[in-house]
Amino acid sequence: MRNGMITKLRGKALVASFAAIAIGAGVFTAQAKAAEPVTITIWTFGDVIQRQLVAEYKALHPEVTLQIKKSDLDPLDGTNMVTACTSKTGPDIVATEVSYSGYWRSYPKCFTDLRTMKTTGEPTAGIPAGQTANDIAKNYLAWRWQQGVAFDGSVIGIPTDVGGLEVAYRSDLFKKAGLPTERNAVAKLWPTWDAFIATGQKYNAKLTAAEKKAGVGFIDNAGTIYAAIMNQGTAKYYANDGTESGKLIYATNPQVKLAWNTTIKATNAGIGTRIGQYTSDWNIGMNKGTFATILAPAWMMDYIKAQAPDTNGKWDIADMPGGGGNQGGTQLGIPSYAQNKQAAYDFLTWYLAPAQELKVFKTYGLFPAASVLYKDPALTGYKDPFFNNAPVGQIYAAGVQTLKPIFEGKLQRAIDQAIGAGLGRVAAKKQTADKSWAQVLSELNKVVNN
Amino acid sequence: MSEVAERGRKKALSPWKSKSPQGSSSKAKKATQFPGVKSLNGKWGYLYVAPFVVMFAIFGLAPVVYSVYISFFHWDPLGESTFTGLHNFDRLLHDSDLWLALRNTFSIWALSTFPQMLMAIGLANILRNTRLRGKSFFRTILLVPNITSVIAITIVFSQLFGRDFGIINDILGWAGFSHHIDFIEGVIPSHVQIATMITWRWIGYNTLIFLASMLAIPNELYESSSVDGASKWQQFRYVTLPQLKNTITFVLIVGTIGGLQVFAEPQQLASDGGSSKQFLTLTLFLYNQAFVNNKYGYAASIGIFITFIVLIISAVNFVITRKISNDGTR
Repeated sequence: MRNGMITKLRGKALVASFAAIAIGAGVFTAQAKAAEPVTITIWTFGDVIQRQLVAEYKALHPEVTLQIKKSDLDPLDGTNMVTACTSKTGPDIVATEVSYSGYWRSYPKCFTDLRTMKTTGEPTAGIPAGQTANDIAKNYLAWRWQQGVAFDGSVIGIPTDVGGLEVAYRSDLFKKAGLPTERNAVAKLWPTWDAFIATGQKYNAKLTAAEKKAGVGFIDNAGTIYAAIMNQGTAKYYANDGTESGKLIYATNPQVKLAWNTTIKATNAGIGTRIGQYTSDWNIGMNKGTFATILAPAWMMDYIKAQAPDTNGKWDIADMPGGGGNQGGTQLGIPSYAQNKQAAYDFLTWYLAPAQELKVFKTYGLFPAASVLYKDPALTGYKDPFFNNAPVGQIYAAGVQTLKPIFEGKLQRAIDQAIGAGLGRVAAKKQTADKSWAQVLSELNKVVNN
Repeated sequence: MSEVAERGRKKALSPWKSKSPQGSSSKAKKATQFPGVKSLNGKWGYLYVAPFVVMFAIFGLAPVVYSVYISFFHWDPLGESTFTGLHNFDRLLHDSDLWLALRNTFSIWALSTFPQMLMAIGLANILRNTRLRGKSFFRTILLVPNITSVIAITIVFSQLFGRDFGIINDILGWAGFSHHIDFIEGVIPSHVQIATMITWRWIGYNTLIFLASMLAIPNELYESSSVDGASKWQQFRYVTLPQLKNTITFVLIVGTIGGLQVFAEPQQLASDGGSSKQFLTLTLFLYNQAFVNNKYGYAASIGIFITFIVLIISAVNFVITRKISNDGTR
């Protein structure tokens, strides 16, 4: 509130000075109006809004002030946006992680339909005037774009990035285990998930007794296979039956059963170390070579670089078993109660234009959702020295293009959580797979009915 | 002593009591110079408490009343809500997760409260020592854990408690335990981990409270007991401890209410409370129902359930501690 007043006051002072200049120059026309100061408030998290690009935008538009509120906790979109929408307030731009997109697609009233907005035009950045979301949709990956479209067809979010998912592997450890190290040969090891598990068993068979005792394994956590397989299908927990909420099919969808069974198979084969991702054990294990593979979304590459700098050059990236994969991604939207919709839309279309997404990829590893880049040599030719000069742009681009749109529903996060816990129980040897699945179903029954 | 105080208080209040016997006429005259003041007759007090009461009504009472209201609905803050009567409560009492969460909450509470209290009293007894150097330094740093962010604490402690590379498991390994303890998947180990974080955060605060009340114990008691030949331990047992009873009650009640609200530590370890919900606490259960499962009405009914538990525990606490203090004075 106080900040708002200060910016307002500052704004008034700026207007006054601009007016004075304009009058002094005798050109009190539209130009002075275009430079009217405006403050765009943004709710975001993590690295979604990059400081470097914000500075670039400020150079283009000195009259724009970006007020960025960064939250580190997951519930940003779960709680703050619900509160904002019910109380008819909210920022000008909000970043939403895709795991929430299934929820928000049911509530388009909380967001501005971006099909109704028109760009003012940004000639220097190659953005023509008068473009609606419909006009720019063709620039983005179709299934990824769909995640920002509400049930009634309105566009509530434009993707900043797509997670992508490929296998990051330690070539030095592969060599030690007598496996091929060249990335194409490695990818040939696992055309299917069953072959991936068999490779893991081969790797584990070469481990010494001491290594086995220290908990060394092939993949960091076999449970991650579940989400990877789910995203390779055409449906998850909901079927699109034309209704707003969709139809729940988690109990009958063969893809769920396939993903569950394959993950259980991998778990029982003992190829995983059972280390939870993003725990301290994971960070240490990454340095120590406790595991040789990680199913890594593009944005995780930066994490690996930061956590395990000494493994520089030892990592490489190979194709996923069974085609491509995806995990995560974010989109930016304009809440329906935003104060400065036009300025926000102009910023958004600039920030998410292919040119900017490419810059973000090169500096922070967020893989662009702008599919027009997938044929651009600037992306396909991009190699990462940390990952043994793997053409990461090309590998991830090929992977994400194999995926299909998946209908997401309101309870997707809850269902994911329940199934994840079920896999965890099997991994911790607390329950048999059958008992654990029965518990998952009974828990989901509680979640769904009421 | 008390008479003097009474008289003093009466005198101080008299200007606001128009019918007070002494000097009423002159004061009443003065009051008429400010129209309206006289008719208030001591109601100024309401004005003084108004800031708190108004704030409390808006930020404390209203949300409570509103959540009671919500708990009777299948509530969707953005969509349509339907009245379901007592359905949420009926379901809640039949939900095995509730009893699991209750068990976890109490286990964590017991593991964090009692060892912490013993250690805090011990620490306070050390800091009480008049010959201790750098007293204010120690008293100040005791509060540092308390002002540290819970998230930061969780990150550090989960490193200590790591299954594969944690220091605690390393130490246990040197001590001859070949088996690595999983401080996430195990029920009691995970509770120990969370209780340690809570203890670390609150022990300094409680030490200061105990210290303050120890310093308020009249020195004569110690002098006369040493004349009677009491040892240091006997002094602690028969002089210090009985005098601390009220403080122990206070710390217990505050600790219990805090213990029932344990949220951030388990949430940071695993947002669903563990694969078999082994450290799902009541508040984490509430949070997940509201913000993962989108069951706001159900979550509100959990909130009311927690309130009742707090009331019951406060009553039990009160009864037990009163009994103890009665025994002590005998």
